[in-house]
Amino acid sequence: MDTSNPSVFVNAELLRLYVGRQVRALIQVVQLDAGSVIGKSTDEIQLIVKGTPPFPLTKFVEVIGIADSDKSIQASIWNNFGDTIDTHAYNQLCLLANGEFKHLFI
Amino acid sequence: MAKLGPTPDAISTLLANPSPKESSPIPEIVVQVVDLNLKGINRYMFTASDGKMRLKTMLNTELSPDVISGKIQNLGLIRLLDYTVNDIPNKPEKYMIVTKCEMVSPALEMEIKSEVSKDEVKGEQVGIILKPKQEMVTKSAAQIMHEQNANMAPAARMAMTRRVHPIVSLNPYQGNWTIKVRVTNKGTMRTYSNARGQGCVFNVELTDEDGTEIRATMFNEAAKKFYEKFQLGKVYYVSKGALKVANKKFSTVQNDYEMTLNENSEVDEVSNEEAFVPETKFDFIPIDMLGPHVNSKVLVDVIGVVTNVSPTMSIRRKSDNENIPKRDITIADESKKVVVVSLWNDLATGVGQELLDIADQSPVVAIKSLKVGDYQGVSLSTLSRSSIFVNPDLPEAKRLKSWYDSEGKEVSMASVGSGMSPSANSGAWSMYSDRISLSYLKDNPSLGEDKPVFFSVKAYISSIKPDQTLWYRACKMCNKKVTESLDGGFWCDGCQKNAEECSLRYILVARAMDATSEVYLSVFNNEAERIIGCSADELDKLRSEEHSLYEVKLKQATWVPHVFRVSVSQNEYNNEKRQRITARAAAPLDFAAESKFLLEEISKMKAS
Repeated sequence: MDTSNPSVFVNAELLRLYVGRQVRALIQVVQLDAGSVIGKSTDEIQLIVKGTPPFPLTKFVEVIGIADSDKSIQASIWNNFGDTIDTHAYNQLCLLANGEFKHLFI
Repeated sequence: MAKLGPTPDAISTLLANPSPKESSPIPEIVVQVVDLNLKGINRYMFTASDGKMRLKTMLNTELSPDVISGKIQNLGLIRLLDYTVNDIPNKPEKYMIVTKCEMVSPALEMEIKSEVSKDEVKGEQVGIILKPKQEMVTKSAAQIMHEQNANMAPAARMAMTRRVHPIVSLNPYQGNWTIKVRVTNKGTMRTYSNARGQGCVFNVELTDEDGTEIRATMFNEAAKKFYEKFQLGKVYYVSKGALKVANKKFSTVQNDYEMTLNENSEVDEVSNEEAFVPETKFDFIPIDMLGPHVNSKVLVDVIGVVTNVSPTMSIRRKSDNENIPKRDITIADESKKVVVVSLWNDLATGVGQELLDIADQSPVVAIKSLKVGDYQGVSLSTLSRSSIFVNPDLPEAKRLKSWYDSEGKEVSMASVGSGMSPSANSGAWSMYSDRISLSYLKDNPSLGEDKPVFFSVKAYISSIKPDQTLWYRACKMCNKKVTESLDGGFWCDGCQKNAEECSLRYILVARAMDATSEVYLSVFNNEAERIIGCSADELDKLRSEEHSLYEVKLKQATWVPHVFRVSVSQNEYNNEKRQRITARAAAPLDFAAESKFLLEEISKMKAS
């Protein structure tokens, strides 16, 4: 794993701050397309994730990859997170990890 | 009734008439001679007493021969025929010189004190003793002085002049007390045998006029003597008991001290006129604060408006197949929460029926001594000692009624037990209250000294030693320990039966660890089954058949997060106090709830 560029925990709002950087996000799968997945971020905003998802794909998936715009991620790693998860907890994590406790993560 | 004694108020009469004239006749004055002593060569002095007051007296030297001959004796009675009362210069006292007197009686048994008998001028009856305060008011200053000077011992002997002490003033260092109490609880006579032999014991709870309670215990002879005497609900004078600091673990009443009565103690029943109803002291818990009391040994008092009364149900008790009546009532209070109270036996049929009849009036009910259970989260249950008061005359009741009439009626209230995560077992609601980290237990080694203290902890089992005894042999009926009997079965002391088979129940000590510290945790059957994932019987099978798999099973139990409800108490081990931590409940970690909890903790930390 390439640790030179650690993945930042992001939701849609934070994504735009890290365009071009390696990010990780929790996505709720809304629609499967060829070569991409349309999903909802933990703060309820629609994002596009490019790449080939694993099969089978659970409702929630964490993607790690480069943010290529403020609304899309080029995913290299996909992790199935199951069908039930508390998105609020993840969202709060994103806020804390990029706010007050940024020094702990990056 | 002519009683041999001094003339009532003789001294007052003497003081009123200090210099009687020779011509006018002296009224009959008989006094008792007290503290007769010789001053100088031939001068006798004594104190003249009429039972209430005293007067220093000098006998004229002419009368000295009467003393020597024995006509005038100490504690004897003399009739005064001629006397003079003089002032002592610079002193408020007076003294008397007796020049002529005659003997009435030789030495009496003792110094006559004013008894409250029919001869008493005041003419008050038995009532006076029991209201000592009143008596004090009507006494003159001189009488009070007299009493202070007089020897109090004889007074204490007489049953009449009993001085009642409040229970709150009792302590082990003052033994001369009497209390007036009602028996509010009477235990059964139990027999025991210890190293010193066999014995029997029973105890009672006594309450006085102020509502203070104290527990009294009697052993062996005293137990037999007083068991019949103490009747529930009756009032008694009790004295000569021994007080000691109460053992909080076993105490059922709120008192720092408890009493032991022995054969020398005195218990006298009080006749009905003087009997009182002790003020019931309540310590109400608001309904929304009942959570932490769930499954605790401490009994609670509640007050609330009755919103629902169920019909009587009949429940069959498993242990003896008896049918017991039960009724459920729902009460609400200002915390906008409701709770169900189960009334049992007489409370179900008596007060329960009364409440059903007046249920539409939304009566206020105050209940004392309820057990808090975990049925449907939080539930209340009556015991034989519980008491119920309908529409009591208490300020809390009035407040509750006015709240209910104004807003309570309309508000839809939630049950205090609801809103808990359904996957959790008993006490789960409290998994997020009183949350501590294990280091807190290490830092406070004297926790749980009096009564065990409860906390929630999130921890991982770090190890379970495979070589320790993990279980005990238990009776299949009552889960108590059984012993192997000679004819191959197992004897259960609780059921008094021999059984062919027994079950194995876990009792083990594991190491538990969290981010802060590691402790020894005692775990019993239910929680151990959760942690290990199989019953003790199954594990035993594995142990004997495939030992390696058995060890693996124990290892698999480690490093799994759990939320435990633990109790902390103190044990003495070889004269050392050791902290003992026991798991009362174990629940799997609910990550979503835990995350919420952690987020709250973070925000709390940020705020401070």
